[in-house]
Amino acid sequence: MVDLVWFQLLSAALFVIGIYGVMARRSAVLIIMSIELMLNAVNINLIAAASHLEGTGSFAAFDGQLIAIFIVTVAAAEVGLALAIILRMFRNKSTVNVDEINLMKW
Amino acid sequence: MMQWAWLIPVFCFAAMPVIVIFGKHLPSKGALLSILAIAGGFVVFWFVLGSWLDAVPGVTKGCFTSENTGLLTCNYETSWFNAGVIGAAGSVSLYWGILIDPLTIAMLGLVTFVALMVQIYSMAYMKGDPRFGWYFAVHSLFAAAMLTLVLADNFLLLYVAWELVGICSYLLIGFWHERRSAREAAKKAFIVTRIGDVGLLVGILLIWRDVGSFSMLDAFEAVRTGAMSEGVATASAILLFLGAMGKSAQIPFHVWLPDAMEGPTPVSALIHAATMVIAGVYLVARAFPIFEAYDADALLIVAIVGLATALMAATIALVATDLKRILAYSTISHLGLMMLSLGAFGYTAAVFHLMAHGFSKALLFLGAGSVLHSTEFQETGEMGGLRKVMPITAIVFSLGALSLGGIPILAGFWSKDEILVAVNDNRNVAFIVLTLITALLSALYMARAMFIVFFGELKDQNRHAHESPPAMVVPMVLLGVLALGFGLISFNWPGSYGGFGTFLYFEHGEAFHFEYWLGAVSIVMAVAAFYFAYMVYVKRNVSLENTRSRFAGILKVVENKYYFDEVYQWTIDRIVLVFSGFIAFFDRAIVNDVLVNGPADVVREFGIRMRLHVTGHVYSYTLVMAAGTIGLGIFVWTRAV
Repeated sequence: MVDLVWFQLLSAALFVIGIYGVMARRSAVLIIMSIELMLNAVNINLIAAASHLEGTGSFAAFDGQLIAIFIVTVAAAEVGLALAIILRMFRNKSTVNVDEINLMKW
Repeated sequence: MMQWAWLIPVFCFAAMPVIVIFGKHLPSKGALLSILAIAGGFVVFWFVLGSWLDAVPGVTKGCFTSENTGLLTCNYETSWFNAGVIGAAGSVSLYWGILIDPLTIAMLGLVTFVALMVQIYSMAYMKGDPRFGWYFAVHSLFAAAMLTLVLADNFLLLYVAWELVGICSYLLIGFWHERRSAREAAKKAFIVTRIGDVGLLVGILLIWRDVGSFSMLDAFEAVRTGAMSEGVATASAILLFLGAMGKSAQIPFHVWLPDAMEGPTPVSALIHAATMVIAGVYLVARAFPIFEAYDADALLIVAIVGLATALMAATIALVATDLKRILAYSTISHLGLMMLSLGAFGYTAAVFHLMAHGFSKALLFLGAGSVLHSTEFQETGEMGGLRKVMPITAIVFSLGALSLGGIPILAGFWSKDEILVAVNDNRNVAFIVLTLITALLSALYMARAMFIVFFGELKDQNRHAHESPPAMVVPMVLLGVLALGFGLISFNWPGSYGGFGTFLYFEHGEAFHFEYWLGAVSIVMAVAAFYFAYMVYVKRNVSLENTRSRFAGILKVVENKYYFDEVYQWTIDRIVLVFSGFIAFFDRAIVNDVLVNGPADVVREFGIRMRLHVTGHVYSYTLVMAAGTIGLGIFVWTRAV
């Protein structure tokens, strides 16, 4: 059985890549993708932990799976919403570059 | 009938709004209604007097013999309002009502009669004025306020009426408010009297605190039984007197009265004779039980202030050149004499002089108004010889002047003599000497005014002058009759009521008495003064130039009215305004800029700096979020380990 720490390292690596994506990318679509990456990094972490605890008789083993399913659901809804916003943004501004969408500042 | 005495002011109170609202549609713009109202009051006065004479103590409803004054007093009161719970006093219910005793009756007669005469006179005098109706409306309110003042049986109602009198005089003095001087005079009158009114209010509250009631009868009862301590009685008497000093133009509050000449002349007649200035004397007379309680320390102050005022004003009147100002200072001087008389326990004499002076001074002012109306001059230097063109005015004005000058058988002689007797009996020799000097000066300035204006050569500029219309002459003649004969009511004529001294007195009645040497001195002085003035101003045998130049320094001081106005102006400019400038600076710099704007400025500055973090760039938000998360993680981690 693969050690839990490897899963966690994979999860952390994906999460950091996601953060980097959100910070470095200009395109709103790519930022959404990076966010998805971060969400899934968390999911891997949760599933790995749940699997690690399986058979110990701890009820906590279900928690990881439960939350992972929640995250998948929320992420789906969120992507739907975010893409709709991006679509409207593109209609209005003819761009999805977030640097140009900076009306809501001081 | 007496319980209906409250109708007297109510007539006038009712007339005022009617004239203001419907004035344009009323005959003669409401003047007739106003006259009708006050005439109604005058009629009711006679009924009140009649029923008072018929009243029997303890039998007639509301009437009893006052323990304080020994007079038949009638009191009718009704619930006014519930003032709610006040401090330790608990629930306070206030009453209002009327108090009728000879003082009230005398004042009612004086006020209604003089106001009636002045209003009839004003019909002609104010003809053609653009605010004719308003003039009569305020006149009505003025009379109503004064009548309420004299009828009030409690200090609270008195205070309300007192302030109403003040506001009406403000409105009438500033009646021609297009003129700057009139506006300023009106403000001066209002503010100066207000200073005294503060004393009055504090005095009333002090009495209320001690007695637990605003009722005058309760207060007098408390003084009589000793429930009110000497300290409280003296303090409240002095505070009440402060209010009286403001209204009655006593030193140092006399400065407003000469300036009040800016109003129409009939207004001056009303203010000087029947309303406003006599309110102060009335207050002292009304609250006399409080003043004379215990050692009567307050009365000594009253006497000193009165004497100082009388003497000071008499000297100014002697050198003033404006006819109305001479009369104004003469009023101040005589008000001083009334106060002096009260201060010398001369209760009857003071009220008697109040009435005699009221009739004479109303007459003099109406006469002066008649002269101004016809010649349009106010400076006595521009007049002279007017008896040739306006004989009736000359005769009645002379009657008033002789009366105030103290020539025998005229009203002023008897009343002034009573004052002299009172002062002689109850105060020391310095008082009587100074009072005699005041009396002499009073005769001199009245003679001077009379001779300069009506005798001597008629100037060309006054040839067109003519006698005033009947509406002005008739009131003057009626007042003239009173100035001539009013003094005679002081005697116990066979078959009459026993004389003024047995009608209106304090503690015990006394017949008219006459100190022969005082009477002789005062007659000699008055006649000598008139003769001297005749020589100087008519015959011109005696020249005053030498005397004038010898006493030039003193003359300058007197002509400048002892620099009272200048001192006040200096005080206001240098002390009051500097102090208020400092307060204004404190308000602007500390209260406004620091305490109010300060927090607002801090918040705004903070906001201006803080908002810079809202860049609009997604990556900066992400960076902060990530850094925050990492920081939070490290924090939790270090805590956990």
